[in-house]
Amino acid sequence: MLLDHDRLGLPLRLSLATIGAVVVLFLLAPIVFIALLSFGSSPWLIFPPPGWTLQWYREMWADPGWLEAMWHSTRVALVVTALSVGLGFITALALVRGSFKGRALLRGFFITPMVLPVVVLAVALYALCLKVGLTGTFTGFVIGHLVIALPFSVITLTNALEGYDFALEEAAMICGATPWQVKWRVTLPALRLSLFAAGVFSFLVSWDEVVVSIFMATPGMETLPVRIWSALRQDLSPVIAAVSTVLIGITLLFMLIAALFKKDDDHGH
Amino acid sequence: MPHTSRLSRRHVLTSAILGLLAATAVPAQAQQDSIVFTSWGGTTQAAQKKHWAVPFSAATGITVQQDGPTDYGKFKAMVESGNVNWDVVDVEADFAAKAAKDGLLEPIDYTVVPKSQLDPRFSGQYHVGSFYYAFVMAFNKDVYKGAAPANFSALFDTKAYPGKRTFYKWSAPGVLELALLADGVPADKLYPLDLDRAFKKLDTIKGNIVWWTGGAQSQQLLASGEAPIGVFWNGRVHSVETSGQNVGVSWSQSLTASDVLVVPKGSKRKAQAMKFLAYAAGAKGQADFATETAYAPVNLGSKALMSPAAVKTLPDNFTKGQINLNMAWWAENRDVVAKRWYAWQAQ
Amino acid sequence: MPTDTMTVPLALPAAAAPPKRRSGFAWLTPALALLALFFVLPVLSLLLRSVTEPQFGLQHYAELIGTWTYAKVLYNTLLVATIVTVVTVVLGFPVAWLMAIVPGRWSRFLMGCLLLSMWTNLLVRTYAWMVLLQRTGFINQTLMKWGLIDEPLALVNNLTGVTIGMSYIMLPFLVLPLHATIKSLDPAILRAAATCGASRWQAFWLVLWPLALPGVASGALMVFVMSLGYFVTPALLGGASHMMLAELIAQLVQSLLNWGLAGAASLVLLCITLGLYALQLKLFPAKGGQHAA
Repeated sequence: MLLDHDRLGLPLRLSLATIGAVVVLFLLAPIVFIALLSFGSSPWLIFPPPGWTLQWYREMWADPGWLEAMWHSTRVALVVTALSVGLGFITALALVRGSFKGRALLRGFFITPMVLPVVVLAVALYALCLKVGLTGTFTGFVIGHLVIALPFSVITLTNALEGYDFALEEAAMICGATPWQVKWRVTLPALRLSLFAAGVFSFLVSWDEVVVSIFMATPGMETLPVRIWSALRQDLSPVIAAVSTVLIGITLLFMLIAALFKKDDDHGH
Repeated sequence: MPHTSRLSRRHVLTSAILGLLAATAVPAQAQQDSIVFTSWGGTTQAAQKKHWAVPFSAATGITVQQDGPTDYGKFKAMVESGNVNWDVVDVEADFAAKAAKDGLLEPIDYTVVPKSQLDPRFSGQYHVGSFYYAFVMAFNKDVYKGAAPANFSALFDTKAYPGKRTFYKWSAPGVLELALLADGVPADKLYPLDLDRAFKKLDTIKGNIVWWTGGAQSQQLLASGEAPIGVFWNGRVHSVETSGQNVGVSWSQSLTASDVLVVPKGSKRKAQAMKFLAYAAGAKGQADFATETAYAPVNLGSKALMSPAAVKTLPDNFTKGQINLNMAWWAENRDVVAKRWYAWQAQ
Repeated sequence: MPTDTMTVPLALPAAAAPPKRRSGFAWLTPALALLALFFVLPVLSLLLRSVTEPQFGLQHYAELIGTWTYAKVLYNTLLVATIVTVVTVVLGFPVAWLMAIVPGRWSRFLMGCLLLSMWTNLLVRTYAWMVLLQRTGFINQTLMKWGLIDEPLALVNNLTGVTIGMSYIMLPFLVLPLHATIKSLDPAILRAAATCGASRWQAFWLVLWPLALPGVASGALMVFVMSLGYFVTPALLGGASHMMLAELIAQLVQSLLNWGLAGAASLVLLCITLGLYALQLKLFPAKGGQHAA
């Protein structure tokens, strides 16, 4: 009955709901705060601000660097996500279903990029990319981010596959499906949530990646976090808050659109 | 239906990715006649770009690409790999000394750069001064109404000036010296630094210290009153003042240090880099930069080119009580001090 | 007999292991190749410097183990990672649970909040906390206005700030996979427990928690490991006195240019983490596609 919402009983329901509300507040507080700061007139991020203004948005609009950085970040993140989920899925399949020796060791190997301090990876990768001329290139960024994102994807998907009931696949095969069809029509849909999680993590890891990006960046190509990092260190202007608010706005928009589409999909899950 | 559409979606996605990768994998070729200037970003680099890079490009036709912030890890990796992207880099003076020792720099071509015009304190075999600045004590007048801290000892006086104080976090010239000065060490007996004594003095206020890691953060701490007193770069305080915040500066004691420009070893555009250095360190370039930022010029002829009002904001006007930080000593002892410094901070 | 014929299609062995016709190793090769080329190769050459720079020998490791500073940094790192993991699990489990069982609209709302938070740039979120938690920041101002405190609380530039900031960042990383795990559980199991007379408490500890535990464990491990190597948030929200390993290594690489020592410190961190991972495998042995129950 613990998994049936209507049978939880009042005290449990209340406590869960309270924690939920607190966490929601916790999650949203900084975001709301940033949005408010972006309209404040104090250049020193004093809150509450002495006045309200749109000047930071105007500054952001006037500087093509921000838009370019956003564009680069998005492109890199999308490619990294696709590659990470794809590679992560087949890797997870091999690690969970394969019969070769040393699977546990290999699983450990695949999480090492996540464990190794990013700075070390960044310097090492940078030195390599300098030699082959990949610095400041789209490919360089993708590779750098992919190496870091892959562990998240592999972990999420191996765990999903482990908890996955293989009998579903066998039933499908008995009904006459080929192995490929089984993968497409049984495995993948059943793993939807975990694939989504893996995709989200990979996107975010790439989107937020600072250290490797700092090394990889050249004046011709830099991602958003690099720009924000330098801005935060050197020149704390609320323009950063304006940029973030715009991004939050775009995210909200996408989420609303996705929610509208998902509405029909939810029935019969 | 959902499954077949997922199939075709995946196809589209795959070809899109491959297409994107193919189209964007070609790196942009650098211009033949262009150099890369790297500095610390923010308003300082913006001023360097405006007063050095732009006029230089106009005069010589060599484009100057801006990069940054200066990262010593990147610097070292570049030089070691032989694929050096940066041509002129603004670095701290003690790093320049260490880098020279480690063989990471190109010697300056003084047939192009006018050595005779430069302040001898700030130019050497492998570096040319970029600008020099002072660490000054500043305080938030809204928090300390009517107070006027006399000298560095105010920083250690938590009764008259309660609250947090802020200092530069990284192991660099400045903080140890001011602790010793506040403890009564005469200015001419400062070096070699008595590290034990300095740390002991700092221990008395350690719980009240908030460390600033970058110029912008220091300004934010001062302006918001989070750390109402501390030691800052004078240019940063200047810009907080001019933005209308109620802050005061005490010039009765200050410490000068410099940033320098270096050319990484193996730079592919050495000749152009040297020409840029000549302009940047030239009288006009230095004068214009100093007027905007209140950082001081390293060229002896610059002050003549500046307006009297601008000259008044320079650290040069406050030489009484001003101590020049000894970069040579720091170059020698950089690593030793750094170890102790970070160990002490971590306690 | 009628029951047998009805169940024949599903009369497979309980632990249905997948047919092992090929070893499946081939699927591993693309990822292996990527990591071998762009991870193992460059990192090994850097780590090698830990024993070759400036002279051949293990002096860096001796320095790491012998110097009290580095031991303290390691201790700080483990401490913070543990605290953050615990906080994240305590906050995250109820949320994941809630998300898995509430009606669709609320579940989507919660997911939306999580995603929105995650999608806001990490640096900016951390910076927002920095400004919020300051002594003159909004939280302290509000608490003082309501008369709850007399002196502003020291919420940033110390361990508290780092914990708050990092828990904030890590929470979604625990909730999302855990939510997937809980959602995949069959409510019938818990109803069966209720039918057998279990109280809510018993049902939780004896049924729900063990079933969700692998999800919790893997999420917690991910959070713990990330916290060990995390750099950005502790750098911005922490004080100097609780320096963590990632920041130390960054300093060694970028400020002190001591790549040998940085390599040694990284190797130590790597070994600790792999050890923890081995422990997790021991406690929650990897299954090969068995039934979830």
